[in-house]
This record gives sequence, C-alpha cells and structure tokens, in this order.
Amino acid sequence: MKDLKLASNGRGRRTVVHVGDVNFGEGFCVIAGPCSVENERQTLETATAVKKAGADMLRGGAFKPRSSPYSFQGLGLEGLKILDLARKETGLPVVTEVIDPRDVSWVAEFADVLQIGTRNMQNFALLKEVGRVDTPVLLKRGMYSTLEEWLNCAEYILSEGNPNVILCERGIRTFERYTRNTLDLSAVPAMRELTHLPVVVDPTHSTGRISLVGPMSLAALTAGADGIMVEVHCRPQEALCDADQALTPEQFGQMMSKIRPLQHFLAAVPETLRPT
Amino acid sequence: MKLNEIRSKIDKVDRELLVLLHERMGLSLRTKRFKKSVADPEREAALLARGERMGLDLVEPSFTRQLLQTILTESKRLQEEDRPIVAFQGEHGAYGEVAARQLVPGGAYIPCLEFVDVFHGVEDGELDLGVVPVENSLEGAVTQVNDLLTDTQLKVTGEAKIPVRHCLLAAEVGDYRDLRQVYSHPQALAQCREFLMRHRLEPVPYYDTAGAAKMIARENPSAAGAIASALCAELYDLEIIKEGVEDGPSNTTRFLLLSREGFNGRGDKTSVVFATRHEAGRLFEVLRLFAEAGINLTRIASMPLRQDPDNYCFFLDFEGDEGDDKVASVLSQMESLTITLKRLGSYPGNGK
Repeated sequence: MKDLKLASNGRGRRTVVHVGDVNFGEGFCVIAGPCSVENERQTLETATAVKKAGADMLRGGAFKPRSSPYSFQGLGLEGLKILDLARKETGLPVVTEVIDPRDVSWVAEFADVLQIGTRNMQNFALLKEVGRVDTPVLLKRGMYSTLEEWLNCAEYILSEGNPNVILCERGIRTFERYTRNTLDLSAVPAMRELTHLPVVVDPTHSTGRISLVGPMSLAALTAGADGIMVEVHCRPQEALCDADQALTPEQFGQMMSKIRPLQHFLAAVPETLRPT
Repeated sequence: MKLNEIRSKIDKVDRELLVLLHERMGLSLRTKRFKKSVADPEREAALLARGERMGLDLVEPSFTRQLLQTILTESKRLQEEDRPIVAFQGEHGAYGEVAARQLVPGGAYIPCLEFVDVFHGVEDGELDLGVVPVENSLEGAVTQVNDLLTDTQLKVTGEAKIPVRHCLLAAEVGDYRDLRQVYSHPQALAQCREFLMRHRLEPVPYYDTAGAAKMIARENPSAAGAIASALCAELYDLEIIKEGVEDGPSNTTRFLLLSREGFNGRGDKTSVVFATRHEAGRLFEVLRLFAEAGINLTRIASMPLRQDPDNYCFFLDFEGDEGDDKVASVLSQMESLTITLKRLGSYPGNGK
C-alpha cells in the first residue's frame, strides 16, 4: 500500500499505546462496559462488575451515533461526568466515542481514549481534530471500508502528530443476515503485516449475537489481536440501545474465565509453535 | 422571541430575584444588633407604603403588599432564629464562605467588601464571627489580613484548610462548546492557564472569582463562563462544566475564625505575633525557647512593621494550648525577650 508513511513504517517495532497502566500492544487488553451511559447507578454498577471480572478498561457512550434522529442520542456532558466518576470509583481508564470535532478537546478532558466510530471512520475533519490532541484514539474500521482505506484514516491521525492509534475491527457489511455484520478476523493478522499499530476486535457489534461473543473473543486472542472490546450491561433488558447484544456481568465473567487461561497458555507456548 | 428563549429569560430573572432576596435577608439579619426587638411596626408600615407607591402596572399594589408582607414575615422569622452572623470577604460563593460554612455550620454568612470590614464588624459587635484567609499554599501570605491581625483585639478560635478546587461554570450546560471567554480573578486564571489553552478559551480578568460567577449568572454574556468554587454553582444556579480545572497540584488556603472572645476549651494550636529588638540573636533566643521545650512550630512568617518598616514582626503558630504548662512557661519567658507580644489565642486545629 503506497503512501502510508507513518502507519506502515514502524521501524521494525510494534507501537505500544499506553493508557495509564494498560498497554495496547502488550498482552491482551479487555475493554468492557455498556453501550451507552444511561445513568450514574447503571454505569457504576456495570463498571464495578466488569472490573471484578478482570476487565482492563471501561467503555460507555456519552454521544451516540444513532441511525435514527429520534433514538436516544446520549447524555452528552452529563454522560462524560458519569464516566469520570466511574473511573474514580473503579480505577479503570475510560474509552468513549466522540462524534463532533468541537467536542474533541472536552471529551479528551474526561476520557483516556477517544473512540472514532465505524460511521465516522472517514470523517476527515474529525480525524484531523483527534490527531491534534495527545489522547490515544481507538479507530474503528468502517463497515464498508477496505484495509487500505482504514489505514489511510489512521495516517490522517498520525500525520497531525498523534502517534497513539489503536485499530478496532468491528465487522463489515456483507449479504449475511444471521449476524449483524461479518467479523473479518483475517484483518487481525493482515494488519500485523501492514502496520505497527495495535489491533483489537469488537465481537459484540460485529456478530450482534450474545452466543457468538465468547467464541469470537477466543478466536481473536488466538489470531493475535491485542485485545477485545465487549458490551456488558448490568440489566441488558433495560438497556436503551443494543439490548440484545450486551452480556450480563455473569456471562462476561464466564467468558473471562476462558480467556485469561488461554492467554497464559499461548504466552507459554514456545515462539516457534505459536499461532501468530 | 420563541417560547424557549422567553422561558430562558424568565429563568434568568427568577434566579436574579432569589439572589437579591438572599442578599436582602443578609442585610435584615444585620439590623438585629441595632434594634431593641425584631418587630418595628413603624418601619414595616413605611416599607409597605413605599412598595405600594411604585407605579408598576403589571405588579398591582395589592400584590405588592402581599409579597412584601411575606418577605417581612420570613425576615423576622430568620432574625428570631438567632443564627451566628459570620462575616467573610468577597461575594457569596467565595472560598471564604466555603471556609465559613465548614467552621460554623448553620450560621448566617454575610459577605463584606474588604477584610477590614470583617475585622471592624466583629470588633464593633455588629457581626458575631469573622473568617479570613491568612495564607495560600501557592501564593503565600495574605498580607492585608496578617497586617490586620497585628492590630486587632479579636481572638482566633478556629482554623480551616480549604482546598481550592477551581470549577468551570456556565449559565447552561449545553453552552460548553460555544464558550469562548472565561472570567475570573487573575490568580485563578493563571492557575488554570493550560486548561484554558487546551479548549481555546480566552481568559478575561475580573476582580473576584465569585464576583465573576455572579456576573455570568446575572448578565449571561454570550459564549462566556467563569472559574470559581463549586459553591457558586449552587448559589447562582450555574452549571459546573468541569470541576478541578487547575493545572498544577491543588492549592489550599488556610482560614482563621475570629471572635471577640477566646475559644472555650483546650485548643491544640496557638497563634502569637511578636516583635523583637533589631539585634543579632534576638529572634533566635525566642525560637530557642520553643526548641528546648519541644514545642512544634507550624508556621512562621515575618512582616515589616507598618510604623517602622526597618523592623519586623513575626507570626508564630505552634502546637499546644496557652494553658499547657510548657507553653505558658515559654510565653511568659517570651515577654522579657520581645518588644511586643500579642496572643491571638488557642484553638482546635483544622478539621476538629
């Protein structure tokens, strides 16, 4: 791929993005939390539960890019404050989506990682704006974007001066209706070839099915992903969005009880025998 | 104007009405000291008559009478409550008020224009207690207050260390994206400089932090916010965009509680002010007394004497109570080693 001066050239080293004590690019980072920040109690409860189950980072949406203008748009600044509170209470760093370039400096004030959603992957004004702050960026792949387009968007961010980009594969659109999107796991090893940036996987939004989150998370780990981002809600039936995709804290705990042992097993396997 | 706009203006007026009412209640509490009894029928009648005389066509005289009567009744009730009147310098919402609320819960907190007004008000008996800042961890000693402490007859009966946590305040929470200018005291603006730069906000110096908050609430200048205490958000109905916007380590201001009478009970700290002859070793002799008695000093500050700028007086805070044997002994020995010695009093330490 031509002209990816910054995204491709890692000078032989893989980039490690440091977020507090969490290092994307080392080990396997688990991000978990509700789709949106609905109220203080819901967020704090879920945050505490995911921390207990071993998550490294909290996710939660304050600004929601809903397909319909009449759907819940998020709590905005109030949501950011709740995330800040959850961070203080649990010690978990926070990732949240930013939609409007005017919000970038403010979201960066309250969150540790700025998420660029799949629908905003090619929002060049937004990419430039997040490129101008130091805060790490989680760049989701566009749902109909090629790997080259995705990397060029990372290039936008890097060229503005922000080297801290984490890529996130979240499924691409295909003709299949059973799953919400089609999780393109091949993107994980492919990106390892093409770039030095860490790559994580979102098994929730890609599959859209609770039963598939576990197997795809384990697969992501084995494929060499640097982490996963999973939706967890303390009471999914009450969630304001993605109610049928979110895991309960118990389900998340069960999944983690398989992931960590697999992670340690793979780390102990001699390098020549490892899958990636 | 559309409905939303009109309602927003109405909210603004209501807010201002309540802030003014608060001010009025503060003033009427201050009248108590001058009256033989709370009720003053002549004054009340004159007050009601004056209100009715104003020809406001949308506010009918009968309504005016009713409203003022309600206010008067409440004002008298407050005066009967007998809350201690605690003075602080600045506007409502100032960090001095935060300290006053901590030191004297359930008091009536009255703002004064200048520090000297706080001192004189308590000395003259018009106000019951005063709260004044003596030093700030970043900015150092508050010179005016230290100066007034050297002359006053008041006693220190308490202290509070208040963390100064600057908050970005705005009239509406939705405004944060449109904010362009932020008003506050120059010191506060300087302490939040990097925060302001990150959000491309222009600092606009104002005489006071709480004053800036009050002005924003009253005048609603477009695209403007203020940096002040969280208490200001409560008192002026402002939204807190973010708490703790200072760049560096948090700073703390130490406030003293002043009273006409000394603290009743055993204190764990004592404050004195003294001056020695301007000769080598004089200060050392005084400090040696404390060292040899094993008394821990908590503050020492010097200040040039107003009447004699070549000479200095010293503020000394230390652990212990005036009534403790070793403290009493040191203080009595100090009498012969100093030109002047003023005992400001013994009091419970911060947070007790």
